[in-house]
Amino acid sequence: MIPTTPEALMQRAQEGDTAAYVQLLNEITPILRRVIRRQRAFLSSEDIEDLVQEVLLSVHAVRATYDSNRPFMPWLFAITRNRLVDGVRRYSRQGAREISFEETAVTFAAIAANTIEEDFGERRDLHRAIENLPQAQRDAIEMLKLKDMSLKEASKASGMTTGALKVATHRAMSSLRKMFKNR
Amino acid sequence: MTRRTDNLIDALSRDLKAVTPLPRPWIRTLRWLGILIPYCAIAVMLLHFIGKLPSPVVDSQFLMEQSFAILTGITAAMAAFASTIPGQGRSYLAWPLIPLLGWLATLGEACFRNTSGGISFQHNLLCLPFIIILGTPPAIILWMMLRRGAPLTPSWTAALGALAAAGFGNFCVRFVHAEDVSLMLIVWHIGGIFLLTATTSAFGRFLLNWRATKKVSA
Repeated sequence: MIPTTPEALMQRAQEGDTAAYVQLLNEITPILRRVIRRQRAFLSSEDIEDLVQEVLLSVHAVRATYDSNRPFMPWLFAITRNRLVDGVRRYSRQGAREISFEETAVTFAAIAANTIEEDFGERRDLHRAIENLPQAQRDAIEMLKLKDMSLKEASKASGMTTGALKVATHRAMSSLRKMFKNR
Repeated sequence: MTRRTDNLIDALSRDLKAVTPLPRPWIRTLRWLGILIPYCAIAVMLLHFIGKLPSPVVDSQFLMEQSFAILTGITAAMAAFASTIPGQGRSYLAWPLIPLLGWLATLGEACFRNTSGGISFQHNLLCLPFIIILGTPPAIILWMMLRRGAPLTPSWTAALGALAAAGFGNFCVRFVHAEDVSLMLIVWHIGGIFLLTATTSAFGRFLLNWRATKKVSA
């Protein structure tokens, strides 16, 4: 018979009992979810689930440090607290390194990317409008929209990063939208 | 995403291997000493034999100083091991305090007595090889042992580990370091220990990155 207390389950897990381990992890997962949600109420469900998984991985990695003569929950919560603090540290590091920009639909498959073309009418007007764009934007539009190149190919051909190409395309599309709106 | 967590649980339990629970901190400390005491005893004897070094004057002051030094090393090692156990509480931080204060007090008192003969901060750098020979193995072995735990507060663990290694190393070095100039000992040895402890603590997260040291097969 499988024991019911987390202490006994963990002890069995340390001995290599898979069933006890599965039961233990299944029992602690909803508790972890609840605790993390309470402490990080601002996080999305997906982020909370990521943290739950981080804690489970940590529990697995350091299961040898659990002493079966001591209560299990303080051991678990110490690991959880540590993972939460690490999560904050990682989040702030990422925030300092990364610049977010609006995700732009730049492929022909995306509806948003095709709506403007329907309004263009004359092909010649469109080419003239594109010629009036700054060089980087013009290159991005020509490669990605007119020549149907992939972001990777365009990046290789122009020497621009894919991120820069996306931004340039987004700006170009906005400028073209404005130009044709003002007509 | 709950599905992903279920998958993770499956993956973690699939190849579950039995693990030996880490022994209590005091047992781990005894094991650490068990490796180091024979090594240091042999090293001290060899250094005396090869270097024809003068033996230290074994008086009550020397015995007190050595007792507090080794006690600082032992309690700091126990505290360092305790700090790698999640949920242990923080009382372990106080364990090395009393022996450390006692150690400083014995040195301070001797220093006060000796100032009548003039103060010298000069240090004989010949003891540097002794410090390396007798101080490095305690630090390396302790670091390897600490990595088996989960140093959730790596800065504290690293600081306590450095203090333990320094306390034990200093205990051994005093057997081959016959110069009993306590002010010099305070400035160079104790100052060095605090510098080592602070530096190690600052790099604790790098030295004892517990997540990076563990392998998860999932």
